[in-house]
Amino acid sequence: MEKRILPERPGWRDEAEKLGFTFADMGGEPYWDETSAYRFTLHQIEADIEGPSQELHQMCREAVGRALTDEEWLDRLAIPPEHRDFVAASWAQGEPELYGRFDLAYDGKGPAKLLEYNADTPTSLYESASFQWLWFEEQQALGVLGEDTDQFNSIHEALVTRFAEICAPGEEVHFAADAENPEDYATVEALAWAAREAGLGAHFTDLAQIGLTDEGQFADDQSRVIGTLFKLYPWEDMLRDDFAAHLQPSGTRFIEPPWKAILSNKGILPLLWEMFPGHPNLLPAFFLADLGDALTGGRPAARIASAWDAAQGQLAQGYVTKPIFSREGAGVTLFEGGHTTAATGDESYSHHPLILQAMAKLPEFDGFHPVVGSWMVGETCCGIGLREDRARITHNLSRFKPHYIEG
Amino acid sequence: MIRRKRSRHVALVLAGAATLALAGCREEQVDAQSFPDLDSCIAASKDASLWFTEDDCRKNFAAAQKEFEETAPRYASKELCEAEHGAGNCGGDQTAQQSGGGFSFMPLLMGYMMGSMLSRGGGIFSQPMVRTADGRYATPKGDQSFATNRGAGKVPSQTFQRAPTTLGKPPMTAADVRQRGGFGAARTNAGAGRSFGG
Repeated sequence: MEKRILPERPGWRDEAEKLGFTFADMGGEPYWDETSAYRFTLHQIEADIEGPSQELHQMCREAVGRALTDEEWLDRLAIPPEHRDFVAASWAQGEPELYGRFDLAYDGKGPAKLLEYNADTPTSLYESASFQWLWFEEQQALGVLGEDTDQFNSIHEALVTRFAEICAPGEEVHFAADAENPEDYATVEALAWAAREAGLGAHFTDLAQIGLTDEGQFADDQSRVIGTLFKLYPWEDMLRDDFAAHLQPSGTRFIEPPWKAILSNKGILPLLWEMFPGHPNLLPAFFLADLGDALTGGRPAARIASAWDAAQGQLAQGYVTKPIFSREGAGVTLFEGGHTTAATGDESYSHHPLILQAMAKLPEFDGFHPVVGSWMVGETCCGIGLREDRARITHNLSRFKPHYIEG
Repeated sequence: MIRRKRSRHVALVLAGAATLALAGCREEQVDAQSFPDLDSCIAASKDASLWFTEDDCRKNFAAAQKEFEETAPRYASKELCEAEHGAGNCGGDQTAQQSGGGFSFMPLLMGYMMGSMLSRGGGIFSQPMVRTADGRYATPKGDQSFATNRGAGKVPSQTFQRAPTTLGKPPMTAADVRQRGGFGAARTNAGAGRSFGG
């Protein structure tokens, strides 16, 4: 893994504009940044990212099964009691997942470490699946990248195949997002194109315009009944909205399925660590509520006592606290040597229970810290997209960097 | 040959939210014609250049009548019904009275629309038409409305999708009419952030 300075494609900004990629710059800063790119070897991609991501996803599936049979874990994950049957039924019926994105700390050498799993509403899909692909094809055509280079990015084709697998031929799928947010909309549109290519009907509706029909079904902004709903809107909010009581009776098929409420929750990290202690791709993680005064020399709750002791070596390097619900780095705080060394200052989610996770040192390339986002479609890992930032907490303005495989 | 790890093609164009529709997602348009009653359809069918026969009129009028009974909206009161369909455009629900399932009100059948799915390998389909509060004519689903109940033109093929059945269901209450905005409160977020993704 290395970062290579590469010439930018001539006129790429005009091309981005023409394609509708309107947020290539955000807040006066570049968002899409191709002044350099990350290079990986095929072995790094396959052995360190692709394989481990698929294994992590299987572990996450096991964790869902575990959590759903344990009321105590459902309490810890703050799944509202009145919706537990709904969530559990979607799992019992084997409702298939569509996509997700693992955020991994990886420096090209040691095992990639799972920072968190965006299993419900991952964005930056268009940048990863399409614009990054275009960058690669054009750079290769220009001779900037050699003929024997490649890119880990079959995301679009995997989505087409997955939609065809999990939906009936011609199934009408509504795609809901916040119509005023171009980044969210781009992800939804990238998905909808894949759905159409799979032979499905794709319709966009503004999330806030969804209505409830006389029959108790959901309807789109044009009052058309919604049969299947892809929502770029988190389950933890769905389950707390005014329409929450209508979710199950509506008979709607939801993508992602309701059981993703278990995974789109940073509380999954302590559960994974409890189930798979010492796994090379996991970091020690605990609920702060279980620690008591353990951070100041006391003893934690009995259920984590031995795991806590075993993790002391790693925790001495530093640790991170973050709310079980949060988006784009909000509420994340870094502690090193007993002091706060980084925080985002966004406390929008900080009233939720906190987890503590051992710190994974992000590598540094030219003053930037990259995080590898590895894309899951179904149960298969099919590509990556990198975000980097000068700060050590990745947030919504962190730059997107293209990558390629060579060697 | 090493396995290629990237797509052979992708979808590159973002049409943007401004249109509030996914480009290329326009519904297929089909030939359609509407009639206030069976007789006017039969009269029109004498013109041999059209796509329907007298037999199509009869079959589809019967189908529209049956579908009207099964899918037309039902209301708890005549006032509620007239608020949705206009004064004088509602009547009692014969079906509910016969089955003893309480009384309710429904809009009057104001004609029917036939559509030709022949170009997509289907036959001829029909939908009943009822009035709307603003004086137009709509199918029971209410998502397609037209200025008149007589005339020919192109309409989206989904106009002929059947509405969910209302037969035997309890009449609507006022609270059930057009409730929107029940998603999007983002209650786990105490801040003013807009993005729902991450």
